[in-house]
Amino acid sequence: MKKYLIIFSLLLLAGCSKVEDLQNDPNRATQVSPDLLLTTIETTAFNNVSLNAALASRQLTFTDGTNQYQYYNWQRAGFGQYDDLKQVYKMIQESQRTDSQVYQILAKFFNAYYAIELTRVFGDVPYTEAVGAEIGIYTPSYDRQELIYASALDSLRAAGLELAQNTETIRGDVIYEGNKKQWQKLINSYSLRVLMSLSNKVDQTDIDIVGRFNEILNNFDQFPIFESNSDNASLVYVDIQDNRYPLFNDNSLQTAYYMEQTFVERLQNYEDPRLFMMADKKPNASNLNVEDFSAYGGLYGSAPLSDNGSKAVSGEASRIKPRYYNNPVNEPSILMSYAELQFTLAEAAARGWISEPSEPYYKSGIAASLAFYGISEAEDYLNNPTIQLNSNEDLESILTQKHIALFLNTGWQSFYDQRRTGFPEFNVDGGGILNNGLIPKRFMYPQNESINNPENLNEAINRQFPSGDNINASMWLID
Amino acid sequence: MKKIFTLFILLVSLVSFAQQTVKGIVKDPNGVPLGGVTVMIPDSSRGTVTDFDGNFSIEVNSGETLQFSYVGFTKQEVVISNQSVLEIIMAEDAQALDAVVVTALGIKKEKKALGYAVQEVEGDNLEKAKEPNFVNQLSGRVAGLNIKNSTDLFQNPTIELRGATPLLVIDGIPDRTLDIWKINSDDIESISVLKGATASALYGSVGRNGAIMITTKRGKKGKLNVSFNNSTLFQTDFIRVPDVQTTYGNGNRGVYAYVNGSGSGTEGGGWIWGPRLDQQDPTTTSGFYETTQYNSPIDPNTGELIPIPFTSRGKDNIKNFFETGIIQSNNVSVGWGNDKADVRLSLSNNYQKGIVPNTDLKNTSFNLAGTIRPTDKLTLNGSLTYNKQFTSNFPEVGYGPTNYLYNLILWTGTDVDIRDLKNYWREGQEGIQQRHFNISYYNNPYFQAYEYERGYNKTNIYGNASFNYEINDALSLRGRTGVNEYSLYRTYKEPKSYIGYGNKSRGNFSIAQTEYFDITSDLALHFEKKISDNFGITAEGAYVNYYRNSKNTSQSTDGLNVPGFYNLANNAGATLLGSNREEKETINSFYGFIDLEFYNAFYLSLTGRNDKVSTLPEGNNSFFYPSVSGSVVLSSLFEMPQWISFAKLRGSWSRVSEGKIGSDPYDYILAYEKGTIWNGTPSTYFGSNLLSPNLEPETSDTWEVGANIRTLNNRLGLDIAYYQARDYNNLIYSPISDASGYSSILLNGNEFQRKGIELTLDATPIKNENFSWNTQINLSHYRRYQEEIYGDREQTEGYIRVGDRTDKIYTGVYQTNAEGDVIFENGLPVSDPYDRFIGYDEPDLTYGISNSLQYENISLSFLFDGRLGGLMYSNTNQKMWWGGTSKGTVNQFREDAVNGENTYIGNGVVVTGGSVSYDVNGTITEDTRTYAPNDVPVNYISFMQSTSNYHNKNYHYYKETFIKLREVTLTYQFNEAFLERTPFKSLDVSLVGRNLWLASDIPNVDPDSGVDNLQAPATRNIGFNINAKF
Repeated sequence: MKKYLIIFSLLLLAGCSKVEDLQNDPNRATQVSPDLLLTTIETTAFNNVSLNAALASRQLTFTDGTNQYQYYNWQRAGFGQYDDLKQVYKMIQESQRTDSQVYQILAKFFNAYYAIELTRVFGDVPYTEAVGAEIGIYTPSYDRQELIYASALDSLRAAGLELAQNTETIRGDVIYEGNKKQWQKLINSYSLRVLMSLSNKVDQTDIDIVGRFNEILNNFDQFPIFESNSDNASLVYVDIQDNRYPLFNDNSLQTAYYMEQTFVERLQNYEDPRLFMMADKKPNASNLNVEDFSAYGGLYGSAPLSDNGSKAVSGEASRIKPRYYNNPVNEPSILMSYAELQFTLAEAAARGWISEPSEPYYKSGIAASLAFYGISEAEDYLNNPTIQLNSNEDLESILTQKHIALFLNTGWQSFYDQRRTGFPEFNVDGGGILNNGLIPKRFMYPQNESINNPENLNEAINRQFPSGDNINASMWLID
Repeated sequence: MKKIFTLFILLVSLVSFAQQTVKGIVKDPNGVPLGGVTVMIPDSSRGTVTDFDGNFSIEVNSGETLQFSYVGFTKQEVVISNQSVLEIIMAEDAQALDAVVVTALGIKKEKKALGYAVQEVEGDNLEKAKEPNFVNQLSGRVAGLNIKNSTDLFQNPTIELRGATPLLVIDGIPDRTLDIWKINSDDIESISVLKGATASALYGSVGRNGAIMITTKRGKKGKLNVSFNNSTLFQTDFIRVPDVQTTYGNGNRGVYAYVNGSGSGTEGGGWIWGPRLDQQDPTTTSGFYETTQYNSPIDPNTGELIPIPFTSRGKDNIKNFFETGIIQSNNVSVGWGNDKADVRLSLSNNYQKGIVPNTDLKNTSFNLAGTIRPTDKLTLNGSLTYNKQFTSNFPEVGYGPTNYLYNLILWTGTDVDIRDLKNYWREGQEGIQQRHFNISYYNNPYFQAYEYERGYNKTNIYGNASFNYEINDALSLRGRTGVNEYSLYRTYKEPKSYIGYGNKSRGNFSIAQTEYFDITSDLALHFEKKISDNFGITAEGAYVNYYRNSKNTSQSTDGLNVPGFYNLANNAGATLLGSNREEKETINSFYGFIDLEFYNAFYLSLTGRNDKVSTLPEGNNSFFYPSVSGSVVLSSLFEMPQWISFAKLRGSWSRVSEGKIGSDPYDYILAYEKGTIWNGTPSTYFGSNLLSPNLEPETSDTWEVGANIRTLNNRLGLDIAYYQARDYNNLIYSPISDASGYSSILLNGNEFQRKGIELTLDATPIKNENFSWNTQINLSHYRRYQEEIYGDREQTEGYIRVGDRTDKIYTGVYQTNAEGDVIFENGLPVSDPYDRFIGYDEPDLTYGISNSLQYENISLSFLFDGRLGGLMYSNTNQKMWWGGTSKGTVNQFREDAVNGENTYIGNGVVVTGGSVSYDVNGTITEDTRTYAPNDVPVNYISFMQSTSNYHNKNYHYYKETFIKLREVTLTYQFNEAFLERTPFKSLDVSLVGRNLWLASDIPNVDPDSGVDNLQAPATRNIGFNINAKF
């Protein structure tokens, strides 16, 4: 009997497993090559199609309820882009581990890009102490916006110059397929955008805005910039799961979004053929020709929901062109286009920052935008009297054309350009605005910062906004 | 049938034998007459019960035995020779109070020795009124065990024991998969609920939240025993279903005209804010208002849709779509045993037909359990169960276009008649495009039922083998090993044109497979000795090893080529999408306990356990935790008043640590996650949680006191328990500033206190000759508090401060002034930029009241249960106000809006001047605002589309309070005299009903499940049960 017992007992114990053998995760890698992170960063940073931006920028309207972006009663935005900055940080770590430089250079661009994206939303934000959790900084302090801009511009300059010297191969690049020249063009063109976004600060800051602008523009060999649409910094969608145009199959887009009236009327007045590429005919004009400008209409962004709703119900408003929700690849998402650069240069000319006249840049920007929409025949439009510059200083026309060219692309750029320049005018007189008739100037800080980082947040609010964290307060950039 | 008829004949033709009458009185030891004592002649069907004065009278043959029995007293037998008057003095039964319960590791202990709360549910209670799983049947039966039942087919209920999910243990082997569907309730002998951490501390960390211990049935000594149990319930109708308006139909702003089902304006938007239904219109041929609809005929000349009457034909869509569900269970078991061996074989089949067409669940089990005792010293025990859960389609749950109610009534006006939609393909586009009134947001429910199929095929094999060897009188060696293995294969068929959120399917097919295995082995040395009459000792030391391995694989197409052909080879995309993962974990443990017993009155138990886990980093992954518990039986120590039969006090303290972070055993390792593959280029990303370098196990210290008093000859009993648990060193994802690059850091921190009280009252208010009434009331109350926040922070991300209850609900609200009036601008309420406190989530009281009444051969039992207090968010009610289906939206304002008039003035104020400023927490620092009543009329439809009537409906948080008539069972037991002439040893038939009645605060929704995510309507289940033993 005893021996059976021993056998039983041994059998029981034989199958026992050791703790030490099971302490590696078979499902995830603890080290990766930096290119795997570059792909993530690119597909996030360049993927910026935003219906909210189109509502806030009076390009589209929404009828399923009062939308806070359209009626300007939005409150807060999030700090989600710090997670993107962390991916950049990990890319730097992994490229240091693997002794490669090129990803660290690209990281400079992305660091600058995300920092600018964040600061223009809120004002002061964490920057020098940001993404420091791995070294124990859980409550980063907020940096002044001016410092962030200055530092970002330095990073961009360094990135462009270092990239020119670098001989390594970029892998995992789904934007330029490793073409470093094009990356340089993006970095420098983007620097021009950042400099232009400081237009209200000329001579009020240590940043030599105009000087730096000219430095780039006058040294093409050292600082190449976009030369055509083929240089556009854009993410091209593919008809594969998770790679499709983000609004593909969007239910609301096909049933509750309509074109904005002032936007449609502007294109109608200009006889702008891009209207036919952006908008669908309004239902009660469905029998008219596609190229009949009177077949289109829109809803007034600031009108009360009930007015817009009944107008939509009676078939007087155009939906967006079905390709935006029917076509899985539709059009690329743009971080920055050649057209935008041309309008930036035209604006620089209009502001007298550069010596060239504004018109060639202006026309070239329009032509590039038409080409983006597949309209190769631009002559008629370019010669249309309604779109001619009134003078070399005609900022309104330049920014209005830029606003058209940036329809439902380039993220929130149109909104921030309008905040900076006041052009084109965004209507607030329709009686429906829920922010005392004002266009907000910023977003409130995320509420969890008041819990997770209250002291630094408080300090940042107090030094910038005497009336508290508020969507109508004015930040340094546009003071 | 014929047989039964014959039986009835036999029944009436019963003949009596020559008998004498015996009268008598039954008293307790103090000479007090005892009413309700059962007096019967064993092995016959003759018997009676003493009346209130203890008197009885019965016909007896000379030489027969009379047996006297009564709860709490020893059975007495008297052989009748020629006595005609008897006086019986019943002796109190110490044994009856020495009832034995199953405790941790399957160790049986005397109830009075326990220092913690254990409540039992006998298998009999689960026999008749069946549910698809046994856990649903526990609702209301155990104080502190809160079952939140789902109304959906094949969905787990939420199981909370003292606020946390307990461990499930089957015959001493923990089942960490918590598969409650694999256990057939007919195989359950009894269920012991070990309520506190102390009770289940010997299971280690998995037992931290208490345990539901299942003891399965075994073969019993005696001759071959065959039993058959059938229960069939029909889900005949609903006790709660969203009650929608039938006055207005689909459309927007009072207009509706179908174009193609995905257009803009009135038809594709999917609102139910359309024109009035059933409007008289003398200008049309039908006499009703007419408009184009999805089923309009097409004018052959123009190709245009022809308007048809817009009437409320779909009033009965619920009734017309849902079918009568069936819950049927059949079980046959055979048991046999003698001194050397016993065996039981059981075959079960459960079938559930869903209320949604083409949905069902089949659940079949085969169980074999046996014991052999080759010598007096050795016992070998084994049990093996094969279980298969199978369905080719069961409904997908949760709010959204995959939900049946969503498509059937919540987002469908009653102008659409579901009966017209049975033909669900659009003509000429069969297999490509479903036919529905709206094809951008919703699915035709029939299309969904017959084409969008979710298959589930799980095979479970589980069992255990053990031996026990008595080395000598005191010492024994025990070994046991238990395995759980399953293989799960799931399929997901998605037809072309199926609508998800923002996704019009191009057809898809996915499969997901899981292979799971776990094994728990233990080897224990057990010592048990009664040293003297007044001192006994039991001790055990053991080693346990647990190992788990699971592998998941899933694969999916990216679109389908051939419509309706569900095979991965039919992939339309460039490549198949797939993923896999593997998990392994182990725990090595030593444990031991010592139980001491003095003077049959003092009991003390000490336990200790050390775990070494693979789920924490090396260095911190081995930890020890102890427990102590004790009880004092006062009634054994002191002379108690006569009405007290038994009194006991108990108390315990335990510490249990757990070294596992989430469900992923590798959560303590920082690593990259797989990202999107962009056109063939792979990517990775790093998650948003950081790890603290020195993670330690988290720990709960729990103490508990309780009392058990039984009075009035055991007819009234009260058990009360109070507990407090301190959860500290918790493994938490402590939030940090997002700007740090991570949203949280995993560390040991925060401290919570849980406390609660449980009360069980059982009583036998009436027991006499013919009639008895037993009742049991279970009450429990539970709270959890934040005691400490990591890093000395002022509040958590959920705005909880130290000392607060953790179930505080904060939500986005509208701004109000000091008087609480909602502030409006342009006729619409203004959002508050800060979340505000709105109430508490947890109920104040959870209760269950069960009753059983017995009159001769007929018994009736019924159970009420429910909850008091607590808030729940109602998705259904919010969506009904938003979408236009709520009955409350039928009013003059709506009628005005339909006619294009803006007449609705929200109840509140407008700001006429001044300003307000807040600090970072949203506390008002300065407020100079002045107000006037809101006087801006707005369009009622726009207003509801923008606000969902939030401010008038407490932001759609409703009181969870409800009472439910959970179960009624009426049983007729055929008497023995009748059965003697049949092959049956016993036979009973029952009428049963479950979920018969509900009263609640919240409209349209059954609050039972505790959340409202648009569950299936709650059904009323009515049926019968037949139980026969041969």
